[in-house]
Amino acid sequence: MKRMIKLLSFAAVLVLTQSAPALAGDSGVPMPKHALPEGKCVEDTQVMRRNHMEYLKHHRDETMHRGIRTKQHSLKECINCHVPEQQAEAGEQKDHFCQSCHSYAGVTIDCFQCHATKPEKSALFHPIVTPGMERNQSAHQADSAELLNRLAKAKQDSDSVGASK
Amino acid sequence: MSNEQQPDLARRDFMSSGAQLAAGLTLAPGVVLYGVAQAKPDDQPVTDKVRWGMLIDTTKCADGCDDCVTACKTEQGWDNQTHARATQSAQWIRKVTLRDKATGHQHSLPMMCQHCENPPCADVCPTGASFKRADGIVLVDRHICIGCRYCMMACPYKARSFVHETITDQLPHMPRGKGCVEGCTMCVHRVDAGQTTACAEACAKAGHNAILFGDLNDPKSAIAKTVAKYATTQVRADLGLNPGVRYSGI
Repeated sequence: MKRMIKLLSFAAVLVLTQSAPALAGDSGVPMPKHALPEGKCVEDTQVMRRNHMEYLKHHRDETMHRGIRTKQHSLKECINCHVPEQQAEAGEQKDHFCQSCHSYAGVTIDCFQCHATKPEKSALFHPIVTPGMERNQSAHQADSAELLNRLAKAKQDSDSVGASK
Repeated sequence: MSNEQQPDLARRDFMSSGAQLAAGLTLAPGVVLYGVAQAKPDDQPVTDKVRWGMLIDTTKCADGCDDCVTACKTEQGWDNQTHARATQSAQWIRKVTLRDKATGHQHSLPMMCQHCENPPCADVCPTGASFKRADGIVLVDRHICIGCRYCMMACPYKARSFVHETITDQLPHMPRGKGCVEGCTMCVHRVDAGQTTACAEACAKAGHNAILFGDLNDPKSAIAKTVAKYATTQVRADLGLNPGVRYSGI
């Protein structure tokens, strides 16, 4: 009997570990797709993934209050490098480097309600129009509930992706 | 202008470093990048050795000309609100016409943030979003601004605006968004790059030369020389704010 239980538990562990990748792949939220620019980022990719918000916040205060305008941790330079000119001109929003990943990670901070999303050299500076904004703009309403709308839309999107599978 | 007297040595150092910079900016034979010679290095903070200011000669300011306003709109992109009423839309700089009732004499002048030495907007700001940079430029840090508009109430020049609606088409150097107060930045992005302000540039381009931009603390600058030589006026001097923007001919 003991042997039987051991065998069964082993089988259960085996099944669980085998199905783990499948489960992870089926989370319902599509992975962001964006081409990485050529060359090296200002910090290692892993460091940037974890700490870019700290760098940006520090640099923002340095620039705003002390007039330090170095390029290393500047949001403008992130955009210049990470948002390709063609993408900017085509107006493709869903593959935007920052926004697509924020959407995937469920991060609601939105630099781009104020900051331009297009590189400096591009003639077009339309910010990302989030679903909530779009809805509000079409209805000519005040968008104080914009964040809520965006969250609701994100939920809806993930639900519909889950349902289609 | 409390720091008008600069030690000669520091000045000489500054001038020689400027000369070196200027020498290094010959891009190609015959192509020299002017104006950048004055720029501070990007990694250096601004200092109170400099006080940026503007002198507006209202005798040269043409009636009916609003090139400075147009240039400001273009440079900073603040004229893109679609829903705001005229009384609500942003106004970083405006033309004001003055008329002497006794004589009928009429002249106009541009009015914008006066970049006070003692800015009342910064005094009343509950979050520290309104502040004065070391070099005398008064700014709003929109990251901290909560949109309470106390500064708009406190400003005797009505120089600030509030953004009432969702904005699109921001420029990379001038992020703007709904719910924040904004005003003239004395083209801080240009100044940090060693250039003059957009309004002064446009005025010179139109041939009026009514706006003179420069360092009030540098006794050799054109603006310091002019304010030393001719009588100039602070608007609402009675408030003791010591604005960085001065007027002559009013």
